[in-house]
Amino acid sequence: MQRIPVTERPDLARAAAEHGLEYTAGEGITGWDERAYYQFMARQVDEDIEAAAEEIEGLCFQIVDRALGNEEVLRRLGIAEPFWDYMAESWRNNEKNLYGRMDLSYDGNGPAKLLEYNADTPTALYETAVFQWEWLEHAIEAGLAPKDSDQFNDVHESIVKALPQLGVGALSHFACNPDIEDDTETLKYLEECAGEAELKTCFLAMSDIGIDDQGRFTDLDHRVITTLIKLYPWEWIMNEDFGLHVPRSGVQFIEPPWKAILSNKGMLALLWGMFEGHPNLLPAFFEDDPAAASFADAGTYVRKPMLSRQGANIEIVRDGKTLHHTDGLYGDDAHIIQGFQPLPEFGGHYPLVGCWLVASKAVGLCIREDKTLVTGRNARIVPHVIAD
Amino acid sequence: MKRWNSVPAALVMSVSLIALTACEEPKVDAAVFESLQQCKDEPGMLADQCEANFNEARNQHAAVAPKYTSQEDCQADFGDGRCEQAPYKTTSGGSVFMPLMMGYMMGSMLGGRSSMISQPLYRPASSPNNFRTADNRSAGSTTGRTRVASSATSRPSFKSSTIRRGGFGSSGRRFGSGAT
Repeated sequence: MQRIPVTERPDLARAAAEHGLEYTAGEGITGWDERAYYQFMARQVDEDIEAAAEEIEGLCFQIVDRALGNEEVLRRLGIAEPFWDYMAESWRNNEKNLYGRMDLSYDGNGPAKLLEYNADTPTALYETAVFQWEWLEHAIEAGLAPKDSDQFNDVHESIVKALPQLGVGALSHFACNPDIEDDTETLKYLEECAGEAELKTCFLAMSDIGIDDQGRFTDLDHRVITTLIKLYPWEWIMNEDFGLHVPRSGVQFIEPPWKAILSNKGMLALLWGMFEGHPNLLPAFFEDDPAAASFADAGTYVRKPMLSRQGANIEIVRDGKTLHHTDGLYGDDAHIIQGFQPLPEFGGHYPLVGCWLVASKAVGLCIREDKTLVTGRNARIVPHVIAD
Repeated sequence: MKRWNSVPAALVMSVSLIALTACEEPKVDAAVFESLQQCKDEPGMLADQCEANFNEARNQHAAVAPKYTSQEDCQADFGDGRCEQAPYKTTSGGSVFMPLMMGYMMGSMLGGRSSMISQPLYRPASSPNNFRTADNRSAGSTTGRTRVASSATSRPSFKSSTIRRGGFGSSGRRFGSGAT
């Protein structure tokens, strides 16, 4: 694994416009940086990332299976009782999942460590699936990357193939918070994929969803919603006014309700509890677990809210001192304590390896770089190549 | 924007489904009429029964008919002059259109099949000799006593009218992005 500085495309502004990405002169594309790329060996990607991610996915299914039958665990994860049966049923009925992104700490050697699993509302999808691939074509042509370079990137094809297999209804609705460009772009891309798969779609704001007198959700044209592909976290849905109507709404949700176990960082404690010592896992404990206190006593750990986004409210403690902490709106919630596995550093850049899963198969890679040990909102995606 | 824009594809789909499942899907007795008078004229039908079934279908029409937000879209699917204004408004106050009821299907005339309900029927512009249920199931082209696929006799779904909006979105307003 190497970080190779290169020149960015001279017509980057045009490429950005073509793909609807935000571009600022002097700064480049928001969330994207092609002034370098990471080069992996095929073995690193195949064994250390792809195989590891799929193995972790298998472990995740086992903790979901166990958690859904355990009231104490569900309570600890902060999941409200009216949703317990609903989630368990979605699991028993094999309600299908579409996608997720595992964030791994990996430096090219030894086992990748799972930092967290964005199992419900992952973004950076378009940049991974489409823009990164287009960059590779340019990079080979321009001689920036070796001629026989490859990329771990079957994301687009996998999504187009997976969508029609989800068993969606005649019309699929796509909903998010339209005020957030990142969320909207990701979901619009998924909608395009659905179009490519010849599914009928309708895009709307979460806040535009209505309810009829039978407790069914409706769109702006009063059509009953039967499939909702949402980029809106499950814990928000459950806590909002319409949340209690969800279990009897008859809606097929993508991601399905059982994913709420995996998008909760409490899952890291569940994983460690069930598979302690697994090479791809870091020690992790619910903060109110006595084991968390004894682990933290050693002085080096990471404290994360169970539900937070984009690196908010994370504290890294080393040798008893706070090494780094981030602000945010999630600090009052329950936390976990996790072992500290620093991201590798490449000249002041800290790459986080994201492995995309579609229908539970590892299908692609995106590297997000930040200038700190915690990958936050200012992180930028840096493309990768595979070349031996 | 159309309210029910799936008609053409759905038609194609259900036609092919019927072709595929013609051997499997059981057919059941039913009676299809273009009008109340046609029912009354049918030998062996009781006027009271015709009327009760017609009223039952007529009463469902506004609730179950496919809905459109423009007359043109409705007519594109059901033919010129074959749409009417529905007794609903969109949330922004616009008019809602639906096809005219072109007939009805009754299921209970042979006694014993009381679980089968009467329902309104429509004629799509693409095959104006055929009847379709409000859920776009074929009810054949024959009037009088006939046999139809049993799926066509199921209760048509309600094309809803929303009573409240805005029950989602508050966390997004508070926290911003839901992305991870």
